[in-house]
Amino acid sequence: MSINKLAGIIFANLGDEKLPELTSKRSLGSVPFGGKYRLIDFSLSNMSNSGINNVGIIAKNNFHSLMDHIGSGRAWDLSKRRSGVSILSPYNGNSFENRIMALYQLHGYFEHLKEEYIVIASCECIQNFDYQKFFEFHLKKNADITVAYQKMSIPDNETAPLALTLDKDSRITDMLIKFGSGDECNMAVSSVIIKKDLLISLVKKCVSANTLNFRQNILQDNVDKLNMFGYEIKGYCEHIASIADYFRINMSLMSREVRKELFNPLRPIYTKVRDDMPSRYGLTSKVTSSLVAQGCKIDGEVENSILSKGVTVGKGSVIKNCIIMQDTKIGENCKLSYAIIDKDVVIQPNRSLMGFETYPIYIAKQTTI
Amino acid sequence: MYPKQEVVAMLLAGGQGSRLGVLTKRLAKPAVPFGGKYRIIDFPLSNCANSGIEAVGVLTQYQPLVLNEYIGNGQPWDLDGMHSGVTCLSPYQAVEGAEWYSGTANAIYQNIAYIDRYHPDFVVILSGDHIYKMDYSEMIAYHKEKGADCTIAVIDVSLEEASRFGILNTNPDGSIYEFDEKPKHPKSTNASMGIYVFNWDKLRKYLIEDEAKEDSDHDFGKNVLPAMLNAGEKMFAYSFEGYWKDVGTIDSLWDANMDILNPHVSLDLKNVYSRNPMMPPHYLGENAEIQNSMLADGCDVDGKLEFSILFSGVTVGKGAEINSSIIMPGAVIEEGAKVLYSIVSENAHIGKNAVIGGYPEDYPNRDDWGVAVIGDGIKVAEGAKVAPKAMIDKDVEV
Repeated sequence: MSINKLAGIIFANLGDEKLPELTSKRSLGSVPFGGKYRLIDFSLSNMSNSGINNVGIIAKNNFHSLMDHIGSGRAWDLSKRRSGVSILSPYNGNSFENRIMALYQLHGYFEHLKEEYIVIASCECIQNFDYQKFFEFHLKKNADITVAYQKMSIPDNETAPLALTLDKDSRITDMLIKFGSGDECNMAVSSVIIKKDLLISLVKKCVSANTLNFRQNILQDNVDKLNMFGYEIKGYCEHIASIADYFRINMSLMSREVRKELFNPLRPIYTKVRDDMPSRYGLTSKVTSSLVAQGCKIDGEVENSILSKGVTVGKGSVIKNCIIMQDTKIGENCKLSYAIIDKDVVIQPNRSLMGFETYPIYIAKQTTI
Repeated sequence: MYPKQEVVAMLLAGGQGSRLGVLTKRLAKPAVPFGGKYRIIDFPLSNCANSGIEAVGVLTQYQPLVLNEYIGNGQPWDLDGMHSGVTCLSPYQAVEGAEWYSGTANAIYQNIAYIDRYHPDFVVILSGDHIYKMDYSEMIAYHKEKGADCTIAVIDVSLEEASRFGILNTNPDGSIYEFDEKPKHPKSTNASMGIYVFNWDKLRKYLIEDEAKEDSDHDFGKNVLPAMLNAGEKMFAYSFEGYWKDVGTIDSLWDANMDILNPHVSLDLKNVYSRNPMMPPHYLGENAEIQNSMLADGCDVDGKLEFSILFSGVTVGKGAEINSSIIMPGAVIEEGAKVLYSIVSENAHIGKNAVIGGYPEDYPNRDDWGVAVIGDGIKVAEGAKVAPKAMIDKDVEV
């Protein structure tokens, strides 16, 4: 199968700055999402489900939680005798200053890969995506580089989206960084397929010229020189570019249609398994329009919220429009609205926390209130 | 050459469990789903893992497909060591011929070679049809302390119940002087839990002797244990305190599930391991009303739940009502349906406004009432009715 010629690369820290609160102690890839997942689960599961056997995760800092999450890669079926998942971190005292330097410093890893092609991805995209179809398109077009894109109007908070201009044949004729929100454009998402040897030679060229911007120097500069194509992503695909996005996209999981598409049982999204019991609802519980993971114990009222693994909600508490991360304990008679509560937070009885839809308040990991 | 294991556990999982009817039509009893995300066998396997037992032989015979697949390489229970772990042992052909497991003792006899390769001092015999959490290492410590050849775990039952069990009569030091199988007039209330610790050299000898006896049923309770007692071997009873339930019947299976929801019952599911389905968290819709219930991942509920347990991936439509029931993985309960005091098996489909089972208080004659059971993959048509106590293994039309 041709897919065995494709290896995956995921940048785990790319976009950390978009969620500064959530990434203060972790990489973007290990930011919790949807009650039981981490952002990297989507790219990793999509790659695994597409038959990709080798995935390198490039992590430059704060990757302790990421390594703990990935473990041997078994949960994604990426722990094989001759292949699987590798976490690629800086070594020799160097740090990965940008994508090009990371790729350059890791050239040893690439040279040992037997796969001829590489798909590069990051973690801010929530979607169920078939890399095999993307790769088939790349081969059919005989492309040097194929960039995945989505037709969309530029969101308010997207600082510098890369917009593609395509001809009838999907060939990229121009690539511009757009400003101004609201305009319809073909926005590039960070998935790119390229031949391994070509990537290595472009990276080396960039390093020797000291032009170290991946989008600018690898993609934009080569529009006229290389065969570049765009591959349209259809269906549910959301990008997290701010904490408001993070909140909104989490909440989009309340839609049955979205869950059906994103968590397609034939192409499941995998994650690290924890042995939690099923969730318990007490006699005084009242829970509607909410997504609840396993191991919770709920005796209060919950509406339009996401409760992650092992959350407890005390009697008399009212939780509306919140994202509560794993093992957070909420005491009795608390009132919470539009809040994002990180892991292992303890909220003592009778506390109130109120945010607003466009400005959800964030409570850091292991805080006691 | 295998590294020595001080203890090897042998888990008897070959029984059909015919009293569970449609639930075990295509499954061995130990594979029957329990408690929202587990299967019965998770309990003894997790107990082994939590007691530090690293070699576990699972004896399978009846409908082993689901069970074998579920156990797999044993990884969820940490039983996937390089030279140890869990091994499914099914009957096999040999030079002398092929033989099914003809009794519990015969099943172990046929796998002497499996046990021998670990050179164990002790063998623990377990069964796959009880719900309990027990640290076997404490029982083995007791066995060593008493210098016993065989130790049998017992639980204190009420005097009325005692005549349903094998009762052990003991001296004040805990040594056993008599077995009383289902006695009409029990002398004590120490019921055997079907958990035995043996010195392997002794058990090995008695298994070989028992195999040679033509009139033997090759059963531990009926043959091997009495033979050891008659020969004057040192046999002790080990009292266990805690939750323990035989889930061999529909009623006891239903009761044990309901016990999880009862805050006054000491059954907690912490450190019970299982395989986890890859599904998103469960979703409760805007019309959901959930009280005193337990839900696993992947459910989508828009109806009313009371005193019920939903396994993974169950769908409950708007206006549907589920009370005191157990709904197994992937079942669909359509809008307006009622499921009362029932067990609905995997992937069953209950049509709109259908009614399954009933409230006990609506049946003055208690003999007419019981837990209704819907078999796996069964379709109950829109508006159809299934009476309490019914056991359904064919699709139900209106």
